[in-house]
Parts: sequence; C-alpha cells; structure tokens
Amino acid sequence: MEKLLSEFTVGETGTVRTVSGEGRLRRRLFDMGVTPGAKITLRKKAPLGDPLEVNLRGYELTLRKTEAACVRMEVNA
Amino acid sequence: MQWYEIVLIAAAAAFVAGVIVWQIVRRIKGKGGCGCSGCSSCGSCSSCASHKKEQSEKK
Amino acid sequence: MKKFALAGNPNCGKTTLFNLLTGSAAYVGNWPGVTVEKREGTYKRGEERVRIVDLPGIYSLSPYTPEEVVSRNFILDEKPDCVIDVVDATNLERNLYLTTQLMEIDVPVIIALNMMDAVEKSGDAIDEKELERKIGLPVVRISALKNQGIKELMDRALKVSKEPRAGETVLKGSPIAHLVRDVSIALKGQKVENPLFHAVKLSEMDEIEAAAHEELVPMVDAFKSTFDDDTFGTDFDAVIADARYRYITENYSAVISRGNRGEPFTPSDKADKVLTHKIWGIPIFLVILLAIFHLTFSEDFLYLGAWASLGNGLPTLFDPVSEGGLGWEENAATTLLACFYDGAVFSPGVIFTNLWNWLLGWVGTLFELCCANAAPWVGSFVVDGIWGGLSSVLGFLPQILVLFLFFSILEDSGYMARVAFILDRIFRKFGLTGRAFMPMIMGFGCSLPAMINTRTLADEKERTATVRVIPFFSCGAKLPILTAIAGGIVTSFGVGNADLITYGMYLLGIVTAIFCVLFMRSTSLRGEISPFLMELPAYHAPLFKGLMIHLWDKTKHFIKKAFTVIFASTIVIWFLSSFSWDWKFLPQEIEYEGETFMANLRMNESILGSIGMLVQPLFTPLGFGAQLQSAGWVFAVAALTGLVAKENVIATFGTLAAAIAGSYVATEEGVMETVAIIEATGVNVPGLIAFIAFNMLTVPCFAACATARAELPKGKFQWTLLFWLATSYIVSAAIYLVGTWWWTAFIFAAALAASIAGIALWNKKHPPKKSANVEEEK
Repeated sequence: MEKLLSEFTVGETGTVRTVSGEGRLRRRLFDMGVTPGAKITLRKKAPLGDPLEVNLRGYELTLRKTEAACVRMEVNA
Repeated sequence: MQWYEIVLIAAAAAFVAGVIVWQIVRRIKGKGGCGCSGCSSCGSCSSCASHKKEQSEKK
Repeated sequence: MKKFALAGNPNCGKTTLFNLLTGSAAYVGNWPGVTVEKREGTYKRGEERVRIVDLPGIYSLSPYTPEEVVSRNFILDEKPDCVIDVVDATNLERNLYLTTQLMEIDVPVIIALNMMDAVEKSGDAIDEKELERKIGLPVVRISALKNQGIKELMDRALKVSKEPRAGETVLKGSPIAHLVRDVSIALKGQKVENPLFHAVKLSEMDEIEAAAHEELVPMVDAFKSTFDDDTFGTDFDAVIADARYRYITENYSAVISRGNRGEPFTPSDKADKVLTHKIWGIPIFLVILLAIFHLTFSEDFLYLGAWASLGNGLPTLFDPVSEGGLGWEENAATTLLACFYDGAVFSPGVIFTNLWNWLLGWVGTLFELCCANAAPWVGSFVVDGIWGGLSSVLGFLPQILVLFLFFSILEDSGYMARVAFILDRIFRKFGLTGRAFMPMIMGFGCSLPAMINTRTLADEKERTATVRVIPFFSCGAKLPILTAIAGGIVTSFGVGNADLITYGMYLLGIVTAIFCVLFMRSTSLRGEISPFLMELPAYHAPLFKGLMIHLWDKTKHFIKKAFTVIFASTIVIWFLSSFSWDWKFLPQEIEYEGETFMANLRMNESILGSIGMLVQPLFTPLGFGAQLQSAGWVFAVAALTGLVAKENVIATFGTLAAAIAGSYVATEEGVMETVAIIEATGVNVPGLIAFIAFNMLTVPCFAACATARAELPKGKFQWTLLFWLATSYIVSAAIYLVGTWWWTAFIFAAALAASIAGIALWNKKHPPKKSANVEEEK
C-alpha cells in the first residue's frame, strides 16, 4: 500500500518508493539517506503535529510535514 | 605634588592610551571581543582570525 | 609542515578528536552546526609535526550549505596531505555516504572509526578489517572520548600521506558509470585536478561544477537524452545518491554484526518521550528556563519567604526582634552567614554573588586604607573612580558564570536540538525556522558567536532577520544592568521581586524580537522558509571537564575585559566627571555622620556633566531625560558608555554614584550605586524599566557591531543600526509613557493597529515574488 511519509502514524514503518520535491530539498533528502529502498519508521510528531521525527539507517532525523510529503512510501499492512 | 601622585597620573594615562591602541589594533585585525577569548573556546568564532590571515596570506 | 584535514558528519566527534590531537579546548557542542568554520592546531606527538584542520561537519560534498562549501573548497584548493574521515560507528551507513564522496578526490584518505566504545556497549561489533578490505581505504578504530587508538590513527595517517592516491568511485557498477568515465577522461585531458571528483559532480549537474566547466555540460546533456532509468528518469543526482547507498547497504551488512536488540529504545529515546512530548514539551521548556533564572537570580529561593510571610514571616538577621529580626550584631561571621540567608533563603546564584561581594568589600576597604594618608584626590580617584566602577562590574561574575553554566549544560546535553524541533512550527509563523533558535540561545551568552552561528541558516533574508534580533537576547554583559536596576527598584521602591523583574526583562527582549522578526519578514525581508531537515543527536551527559574548561575560559575573558576596557573606561569617566572645563578639581571633602569623605556634589559642572546635559533631553520621552533633577544626565552618559562594552553602563553608575555620594555608598554590588542615583535624580519606576529596555534593545557594543557588519549582506548594516536605535527608542518610550500615564496606551495601540493594517494592505498590493526554484513534479 502506498502512503506519503507525512501521512504515517506514530510507530508505522515503511520503505521509500520515490522522492520528489524541489531540487535542493530533494538533494538534501538523499544526502540524509532518504533514498528508494530505505526503511523509515515514524518516531513521533512535535507538539502541533509538525515537524516529524523519523528513524532511518540507525539515526533520528527531523523534517517538516511538507518535506515528508515529498517521500512516497510503501507500507506493508 | 608628591612623586607617587605623578606616577599614578602617568600610569593611568599610559594605561588608557594603551587600551585604546590595543582595541584599535584588534579591530583592524578583525578579531571580535565579546565572547570569544581566542578562537578555541567558542564553536563558531574561528572564522575571524584564521579567515583574515588566510586572505592576507593568499595576497 | 604536513597538513591533515578532519572531515565527517556533524556530531561525529571531529572536534573532540581535534582537541585531543592539538591540546586545545575548542568548544564541543551537541547540536548540529556547532562548528561553522574550520579551525587549526598542531599535532606534536608524532614523528613529525602536523597541522590539523578541523572542518565543519557535513553530510555530503554537494554545495548547498556554507559548511559544505567551506569543507569542499578546503580539500580541493588547499590540498591537505591526508583527509582523516571521522566516521561515527553508531551511524555507519549515513557516515559512509560522505566517505564515498571523499574517496573520489585525489587525496590520501583514512577512516577513523570513532565511538567504538558506544558500539561495543550496545552489544554490536564492527569488523574494521573487513571494512578496509571492501572499501579500499585504511580503517583505524578509535574512541575520541576515551582517548583510545589515537596514536595508531596518526601513525597510519602519516604513513598513508606519504604516497599519492588517485580518486576512486563506488559508482563503477551503477548505470551512470559510463558517463562518469567519459567526463573524467575529458577532464583529465584538460589537465584538471581531481578529474574523477569533478566528473561525478558534473554528472550530478552540481551548480558549481556546471559553472566551472561549461563546455562539458553538453556532454552530460547528450548522455541524458539516451538514458532513462525507471525510477529516476534523467535525474542523475538521484541516480548517484541511490547508487552510493546501494553500495553501502550491500557492503555494510558484512561489516557490522548486531547484538540481539530488536528495535532499539535507547535511554535517549526514553528521555525524548518526556522532553519532546506533544503537549508538555513546550511548557516543560518554559519551566526549565524559569528554573534556570530562579536558581541564578532569586533572592527568595523557592519563594520560601513569600510562603512564610503568609504566616509570621521568616526573621531577618540584623533587624531588632521587635521588627521581626533576630537582632544579631553585624560582624565578620554573621555577615558571612548573611550571604546565605537573611529574611529569605537565597538562590545559589545570589549566594555566590553575596560571597564574592563580601570578598570585594574587603578589597575596597584595603584600597581605602592605602589611600587614607594620601592627597584627597588620590582617594577619590582610586576608591571612588576606579574601584567604584570596577567592583560594580566584577560583582556580577558569579551570576554570569552560573547562567552560562546552565546554558552550557542545555547545549552540551543535546537538549537544544530538541527545543529547535519543538519550536519549529511556532517559529515558522514568524518567518523563521526552528534552526534559528540556536543562535538566539547563544545570544544569551554573547552576541558575537551567535551572529556567526547564523551561517547555518540557508536563507539570506532569514539570516539577516536573525542577526538583527540577536542583540535583543540580552547577552551576559547586559546582565549587570538588569540585575542592578531590578535590585535598585526593589530596594528603593519596595516593588516586585528581583528575579521576576529580571525574567520579565529577558522576556521583553524575546517578545520584541518576535515582533521585529514578524515586521521584517512582512516588509523588507519577505522570503521563503528554508528546509528544516536536521539530525537529532543522541542525548549525552555533558562532560564535567568540558564544562569546567568552558567556564574557566569565560571567567578569563571576563576578567581580562574588566581589567582592560572597563578599567580604562572608569579612569576616563572619573577624569571627565571630576574636572570642569577650566580644570577645576570638583570633588571636595564633606562631613557625613561624623566622618569626612570625598564627594563630588558639583558634578554638573564637570566636562562629562556638560556633555551629558547636552544629550539628556533626547531621552525625555523615555523617562530619563530633561525631567530628572540635578544629576539626571548620568543615565544618558551611562547608556553611551555602553557602546564600548555593555558592562560599562553599570560601571559608569558605579564611578559616578560613588563620586556623587561619597565612597560610603560604594561598598556593595551595583545595586547600591543604582539606589544612590535613583535618589539623586528622582527617576521613577517606569523610567528605570525604560532605561533597562533601552540598553537591552539598542545598538550593542562595538565588537558586536563589527561582527554584525561582517555577517550581514552588503549595505544592510546601516539599516540595522537605524533599526536598533528606532526599536529601542520606541519600546522604551512606550514603557515609560504608558507606565506613567496609562492612557497613552491607547495612542500606542492605535499606532500599532495602523501600522499592521498598512503593512497588510501593502503586502496585498505587492505580493512577494515566487522563487524560481520550484521544479515541476514528475
């Protein structure tokens, strides 16, 4: 099932399918390890629901909802 | 006027002049004063001295 | 001398390693972006001396942030003899991403596998020999924290640096390998250095590369037209980034073996559950801040005195029993005890201050005795002038250190990064990112490093706005002003609590900053918000040694500043205030309570007085101008001396108050001087608060101005000066006028509403230009 990373619930895990977004942002996402095939878990949401904290490749990354919306994920039910 | 009074005045004047000159020299060199006691104690302050030195070395 | 560079991700331990190698005490913080510029030192313990350069932490060599550009340019242009790639072993995959880029440059590279102690502790193991075999680069395990493996690292680095190395890439097996090979051949033909590196970057359509090698761009474009990958289309940088991580994942599994942990819930995560809680995160942060202020400034610790006064109240030490005291005699011992308790328990910050001032009091008495037999002007000069000014500033050292200590703990533990995370959403409403929070908090220590730290903010307009409001986050030098005047208010008028007034004034600075940013972002600095991607480093307990080194540095710096700049300033001020234009010496002996003192009751005739009286009327709407009696010009002059160093404001008070009232007043911290001036000038509470506000918000010290000028884009500095003057004037005037005549609040409210409406209308008519960066989604 496909889902945007920004639509994840806390604790949900998925694999990255595609990464869109404007040039610089997309490059940044890649540099931080958000590439197709990467496994990402949503750890928590900040107060007010934004930004999000995710766990991938063994570390904690924080990013905004609008940035997470650029990441299309594959979730196994 | 006693001798020590003269010494005191001279010392004070020299001190003030010295500090002013020292501060001006620092400004020309580009070093800041507020929280940076030398570039090692502050995470981001190392730009001031080494950057300027670099530029003068390059020229 | 050989030159080695330390490269690696943020928070991988580069700076800790740098400190070990060079013996320096460079600041190691625990949030992304601590090191913004490179720093240099020398390693003297090996075969030969080596220059070590600590580069800012980077995730990649793409040219999108200033740190990356700095690091990249250093390695390419300055040609270090060896690059030590510090890899955080607890985070191997992401760290190796950078490694795959570093290795494409024609420079010897050695991997320092750091934090091995943490890896072992969590039950994992890394086979560094296997890693070395697979990646083709020497690997040495180290633990910078525990000082292990350093010698082996440096010995091997030295060996490796003796032989040149050609760049290699992990992209050999990728779909884009042909393009890379062709471009690098072309570049080699042009005798470009590091051809492989530039070839790869060019293939990524890296902006810097495309500009440098325009003639090769068509080659890349040609390739693009024949190439089509299902996932990425012709997005080469995506292809390359993906290829790198693929390579890492394939080879990574062989190298690391995980202990049985499952999905790790580290102590860090447990702490985060509370500290970054969805609802309680922000309130917890505010409480922590309040606690810090309470521990530093409160004269009624835990408000015990206030609670007790609901009943019979706590006794003071020296008042007679009939007035609710213990009726003790004031001697050396009881005065010492009074540092801890006198009618209320004092907070640690205040206790230290009292003890310190008790000490300073003895020094003052010593000076008095020395000068007792000298000519009268000497006594005035040394005791009132110099010591009066100096001691009033020195008195604040304990509180500055205590505050600084707390903020250092917050920074080093990694909590600050969390707060940026929590606050980002709110910051965005004001046109800033959560990332801007770091320099602002640093501003509470000193504006200079804070302004420099704004370099990590990618957006120029956001940076300008942040630099401009950093002085509003009152730096350590302004602390004496706040405390002395708050104390003066409490003593002279019996109103309020010292710590609440101080907290309130710090809050005022923050609130003003918020309004100003809002204002700027909707007028001259409109722009887009930069992306927020940020790593949250694991919490770790700050090292005691690190904190102490940091405190000691701060102390050294403070003392140095006090005994040079401030010392010189007090001499000048004493001189200008003690002599009239026709060189008459103004202080004279007077009798008071049976003793003779030197007092300068005719200060209005002095050089300083006449200058002060010229400037004084300017401050009338602020409450400390023409409406004050006799020595009212003192406020104007004190504010002016603050331009040299903000501590001078209270130093000036100290020197002048001591001279006005005679040295019998100048025995305690700045509070007494303030009281003397309050009584001599007749200023009221709103005027005093306006004075604090003015000094807090106005043009900072020269050093900070110079830094702001350097960090701001060309041409913005003049406006920044105007901005500071205007903001401080308006806010202080508002405080004084509304405080004294409450109905003026309506005038201000109306003006504010009008300007907001005006801005909103103007924005409607001139919408901000959309940036050209928005690409179409595929």
